[in-house]
Amino acid sequence: MKKAMSLIGKWACLFLMLVISSCSTPEDKASPEIPVEKNPVAEIHTVEITQMKFFPEEITVKKGDKIVFVNRDIVAHDVTEEETKAWSSSPLQTEQTWMMVAEKSTNYFCSIHPVMKGRIIVQ
Amino acid sequence: MKKNNRISAADCLFIVALLFISSPSFSQKNPVLSDAEVASVAVVANQIDIDYAAIALKNTRNAEILKFANTMANDHKAIIAQAVALVTKLGVTPKTNSLSEKLLADAANTKKQLRSKKNNAFDIAYINNEVAYHKAVIGAVETVLIPESENAELKALLQNVVPPLKAHLAHAEMVQKMIIK
Repeated sequence: MKKAMSLIGKWACLFLMLVISSCSTPEDKASPEIPVEKNPVAEIHTVEITQMKFFPEEITVKKGDKIVFVNRDIVAHDVTEEETKAWSSSPLQTEQTWMMVAEKSTNYFCSIHPVMKGRIIVQ
Repeated sequence: MKKNNRISAADCLFIVALLFISSPSFSQKNPVLSDAEVASVAVVANQIDIDYAAIALKNTRNAEILKFANTMANDHKAIIAQAVALVTKLGVTPKTNSLSEKLLADAANTKKQLRSKKNNAFDIAYINNEVAYHKAVIGAVETVLIPESENAELKALLQNVVPPLKAHLAHAEMVQKMIIK
């Protein structure tokens, strides 16, 4: 009986862990079809938003790499795919960050200040 | 439309002339504005654009104008919040002066003009004024307020405000091109 209870407990824990790990987060909404696990050497890159510019304005990464956007400006910004608005962060207040997984080369902009533009190049 | 341009340009030229006359090149030894007065001008200039945005949000149905006005309201509120936090930290009370009073008086006239217009005429008047106003404010911040600031943190804040103002101007010119075809 104790063995059976222990086994049930283990399966319950495993199920719970699977449920938690399958939950989507805001970070992977941009390209949910590319789990980071498929790119075990995924790197994390940072793009700072400062003085009303994305810095660097152009960033070259590998497929599956993560890009973290950090708003260092005094006004809110967002990060939005330019051509079809396929993905977008929510507005980032000062010092807020947003992370995405790079899937393909794309141009992006700040939809709040459309003169601010950047480019991701996926090798 | 030409009338709107003339009004905006006249307002703009007057403000720049007023600011230029009071610039350090005319008074190298004695600053014309104290830090308390610089802070007052900075807050007033931002509040004026928030007021223009509020009029736009009530009077337009144009999606681009709505979006632009929302951005102006939010950004200038954020800038005022930074200025208020700084003067509170420094123990400076913004002091009303002839320049901030003149800005307010000119803004009252501009707001009256804007409220008298409807539909497309309003959109054109609003965006023309935004282009002219941001040009005037950028000129004022760069040639008067930054040089006049004695406190390093106040000077740094004003320097940080210039890029948002320039982005606003570029955005306004972009919307202007969309509306005035």
